[in-house]
Amino acid sequence: MPNSRPAPSRRRFLASSAFAAAATAGGVPLLSACGGGGGGGGGQEGAASEEQVRDILPTFQESEVAVAPDIPAENGSSPGYTRWIPEGELGVSVPEPRGNGGEFTGMTPLWGTPPSSGNAFWTAMDEAIGVRMNWQTQDGNTYGDKLGAVLAGSDIPDLVCIPGWELAGQIPQAISSRFADLGPYLSGDAVLDFPNLAAIPTAAWEASIFGGALRGLPMPAAPIGGVMPYYRQDIFEANGWEVPTDPDDFIAFCREITSASSRVWACEDMKWSAFIIYGVLPDKPRYWMEGDDGTLINRYETDAYLEALEWTRKLYEAEVVHPDAVAASGDSTQRFTAGESLMFNQGDGAWHNTAVEQRTANPDFRMNAFDYFGAGGNDPVLYTANGAGIWTFLNKNLSEERIREALEIANFTAAPYGTREQRLRAYGVEGTHYTVEDGLPARTPQGEEEVVPETYPFIATAGHVVALPDIPQVVEDWTGWMKRHMQYAREPLFFGRQVQEPARLTNINDGFEALEDDVVRGRQSIRDMQNAVSEWRRNGGDELRDFYQGLLDDEGAAGS
Amino acid sequence: MSQSTVPRPPVPRESGGQANKPAPAARKVPRRRGRKDPRLAGGIGLRHRLRRDWVLVAMTLPAVVLLLVFAYIPIAGNVIAFQFYSPYAGDGFFDSMANSAWIGMENFQRMLDDSDFWNAVQNTLMFSSLQLILFFPIPIALALLINSILHSKIRAWTQAVLYLPHFFSWVLVITVFQQMFGGAGLVAQLARDWGLTDSFDLMTDPGFFKWLVTAQVIWKDAGWGIIVFLAALSMVNSELYESAAVDGAGRWRRMWHVTLPALRPVIALLLVLQVGNMLTVGSEQFLIQRTAVGPGASEVLDSYVWNRGIANGDFSYAAAIGIVKGVFSLALVLAANRVAHAMGEQGVYSRR
Repeated sequence: MPNSRPAPSRRRFLASSAFAAAATAGGVPLLSACGGGGGGGGGQEGAASEEQVRDILPTFQESEVAVAPDIPAENGSSPGYTRWIPEGELGVSVPEPRGNGGEFTGMTPLWGTPPSSGNAFWTAMDEAIGVRMNWQTQDGNTYGDKLGAVLAGSDIPDLVCIPGWELAGQIPQAISSRFADLGPYLSGDAVLDFPNLAAIPTAAWEASIFGGALRGLPMPAAPIGGVMPYYRQDIFEANGWEVPTDPDDFIAFCREITSASSRVWACEDMKWSAFIIYGVLPDKPRYWMEGDDGTLINRYETDAYLEALEWTRKLYEAEVVHPDAVAASGDSTQRFTAGESLMFNQGDGAWHNTAVEQRTANPDFRMNAFDYFGAGGNDPVLYTANGAGIWTFLNKNLSEERIREALEIANFTAAPYGTREQRLRAYGVEGTHYTVEDGLPARTPQGEEEVVPETYPFIATAGHVVALPDIPQVVEDWTGWMKRHMQYAREPLFFGRQVQEPARLTNINDGFEALEDDVVRGRQSIRDMQNAVSEWRRNGGDELRDFYQGLLDDEGAAGS
Repeated sequence: MSQSTVPRPPVPRESGGQANKPAPAARKVPRRRGRKDPRLAGGIGLRHRLRRDWVLVAMTLPAVVLLLVFAYIPIAGNVIAFQFYSPYAGDGFFDSMANSAWIGMENFQRMLDDSDFWNAVQNTLMFSSLQLILFFPIPIALALLINSILHSKIRAWTQAVLYLPHFFSWVLVITVFQQMFGGAGLVAQLARDWGLTDSFDLMTDPGFFKWLVTAQVIWKDAGWGIIVFLAALSMVNSELYESAAVDGAGRWRRMWHVTLPALRPVIALLLVLQVGNMLTVGSEQFLIQRTAVGPGASEVLDSYVWNRGIANGDFSYAAAIGIVKGVFSLALVLAANRVAHAMGEQGVYSRR
């Protein structure tokens, strides 16, 4: 039975990764900022200049209570925690409630059944923070529709969470016109009043500048690997298979391991992997590169883009993609766990979630992410994702005092791994929501029901870590994968910036995703894609190029 | 409206049309109403009628208010079709509207050159024509069939089974189809086992899509559609059947000369409504299957409006498409109604 409408757009795809991430028991929701969406900005077009950005950004001050990771970070990869820290050793970053008992309404997406209001978990959180949160959760799958309506009205909640994949159409404009500038409270040394917020990496704050002002409270994301290429390690090992290291071999290998008559297909839709193998630029606004003559080239105009689609098309043509994936129907994770498809792309949060779920259902189950390979002797390219991909914004009508109190909520939720606050936020109350057996946490039914990973963590979290003490193996595999791939990481142009494109040009890219799906399924040809790109140039693509070129020239936003 | 769903007494003669002969003559009477209306001239005035019927009027008030609030007042929002509207330009709808730029007919001109729009129009008309031809007759046939089942238990069972798919959501219906006719579905797997073909897949074939959606609609809603016809059939005076039988009419002759004439007004009414709804074939069914067959085969007007407006935030253009769609739908209803009148039926509304 279907769990939700299985439309496969990028937006939904990322939402599903958020869903999986949101359910991470480790307490650090690992959301992909990958393809964070369509630019921020605000009332006026453009992006904040470097100088402006420097003035706006909060001072970084490392947390005093954070625990040293079991697997340290390397070259910017996320650190890993494999150990469950006993209650007695936990640090304390918010010794006593810092709120004044104020009442706030908050809206976040939620995938699944929302807990009833006034439940033990929310009450415990409220008491520890010193506020009263009134949550208005909305179904995560249709959050964008709700968001548009809520922001268009006049009754906007005090705290509103907006995931990067919902930044389509006119939402960026709404952010600038509806939400408060947090600069006066957080810019420079002001942030030191909120030690946990001061410990959030600067890259995450940088991606929270909308319309030239610091408006977002960030939820930091992993620099690479927002979407992972998973494979069934148990089945591969049992058969002695190895994932090939060449695109053509990969297709041949897929042919070999597909056996339709026994309901086994090699993979799901691998378009996302193809983009990395061929080094395709990410989504807007980071979809430009400098050509040899210095002019900007768009993602859609690159050969890599066409090559990646052509490769994916061959994969489809070879009939090694699960037919339900071709029809974009049903749940790909379910097919993967059932062994009907052996490789698939999914958000990084799915890893832990699926592993936990299968631990009881299928003890032999083991999934891992395979190493990317390049095409034609080149290395793969993993363009670095922005420092944050989900933000919470504060209503601009809140008084100064109320904004400070709201920031106390964020300061609490942003406590790092290894603190009492983080433990409460991620696991709830010991005895009520979880019990510790043999030095490992086990959720009670009440914990499963009430300690949803949405709501509070979406307000703000500490820097991205992989902390999954209940399955240390996943932590090792994951951090290892990241370390091996950091050498292929590359910063795109306009990295870390929210760019507001001119309103009349914001919709000219809309048709490409559907066209990609048409091309890989063989309904349209690469030539059709080329024609669409020429049309795109005529319909404003060239204008858009000039606009971005102007940003580069004027503001030196080229980054590194 | 309510009047037209009640079948007129069937005419026991060969041609049902003859009974309507006086009607055209009556229509030539000047249509002006008011004081000159003979029924009012010598009768009671408005005040008296209000005093007499106020209970009835009060009872319709809630419905009128609902219609006003949810149907008529929102029509005014269509002005954004002539703007470059942004809902975030101000606080609330009216403020935003005041702050949005006026662009005149630009959105309508854009439509003329928009090949995606015309593709959606073409698909919509194709799907609804197919449904008109293939879907529409099926509930009538089913109703006649059920009506012929005399055993009440079997009859109730058949009805329940036929009604059931109507309550399934589109997600479910399409999943069932995918599990049956998809590339990994039952039929495909059987075909593989029997060595017939390795790549049977009806769900991702853009050329087949029009037949597929029609089949889905039939499976989901044909059963539900019989309710109206069954109601009409239950109104047929059983004496007519008896006397026809006494006169020696067989099963088929009774159906042709008694049952079908009784259904005629209902069929005409539904046909008018169906034609008026030609441009509305639903959107969820097509949104779900969009990637499977591509927008070229699956985009219809409603899904196009959804994609432009809700998904991509191009509200003004979506509103403009909505207006054009509304105008053409109205024209279609009027045209279909005219045809119904010409055939001597009442249609959606009747003329005096």
